[in-house]
Amino acid sequence: MKNGIKTLLAMAAIGALSLSGCASTMQYGDAGSAKPISTEFGSSDLQQIAEAMVDSMITFPPMVELTSARRPVVSVDKVKNKTMQHIDTESVTDSIRTKLLRSGKFRFIDRTTDAQTVEELKTQRDSGLVDKKTAVNFGQQIGAEFLLTSNFSEIKQKAGSTTDVYYKFTMSLKNMKTGILEWSDEKEIRKVFNRGTFGR
Amino acid sequence: MMKQVRSFIVGGLTAAAVSASLCLGGCSSTAGVETSGRASWDEQGARSLEKNVVFNGLKGDIQIVDVRSSMAGDIMRAQATMRSKDKDTLPLQYRFDWYDAGGVEINAGAGSWKPLILYGRETKVVQGVAPDPRAKEFKLKIREPD
Repeated sequence: MKNGIKTLLAMAAIGALSLSGCASTMQYGDAGSAKPISTEFGSSDLQQIAEAMVDSMITFPPMVELTSARRPVVSVDKVKNKTMQHIDTESVTDSIRTKLLRSGKFRFIDRTTDAQTVEELKTQRDSGLVDKKTAVNFGQQIGAEFLLTSNFSEIKQKAGSTTDVYYKFTMSLKNMKTGILEWSDEKEIRKVFNRGTFGR
Repeated sequence: MMKQVRSFIVGGLTAAAVSASLCLGGCSSTAGVETSGRASWDEQGARSLEKNVVFNGLKGDIQIVDVRSSMAGDIMRAQATMRSKDKDTLPLQYRFDWYDAGGVEINAGAGSWKPLILYGRETKVVQGVAPDPRAKEFKLKIREPD
């Protein structure tokens, strides 16, 4: 009988241990983690794309020459998202723009905040609050010399328990005056998911 | 009495084994390699790179064959060549961290890990580009995925 109690106690201990192993947990994760969770577009994919594009652009010899004496003004176009997923592509171009700006090689114009700019300029001019000498006039902004365009596509294949997704992000820098592409590069990412026998 | 003691020992051992296996699954440590390079210029303006490779695990799996660096304008680039000692494919991760002339990290903590697949006995090159012209020193970290 006593033997039975001991066995029960041991089993309870094992049960408690295994329960502690399955309990829900909450913690901060590494924002730079490269752990893939699914074949869908993830944070690490975004970081890899942004870094690859920026590294390529700032080390491309004609770009090195172009940016050695001045910081050209660039406008960023919306990404053509040809994937089947809903992706915040502005977040991708935001990361690329931030990195390029911080490299000290390029300057950018931001068309997404134009409405606020116009409102502020109107206030400066018409409200009577602002000293005319310091008020900013319309028509003084600098026009962008280059346009940064991008395409994002995916090829998804499914066979049995395997899902294979291939992503390709292509970016180009177009000279708006001449229409010539001054730089272009692409980043490829492949993600493969194998569903286990007891998988989700 | 003897029987009770024995069953207690068996129960305890089982619990210990279970907890050990749980710990192995949940608390695995991340081992890796850290390769660093510091660029300096002599009076003639010639550039040299002081290199250092520290293994904290993975020593049996990979070898750092070569570390070098070059300049693209005023931006520092780094390259490391590694060779797999393993006959199987190694899934790894790497990241570059960059430091200025004073040894202060640039954009501290902003870097991200990138996946690196090293096939059996393969030699592969990883490259990194400094975030801005201040960078004079880099650290390349290679580790097993978390």
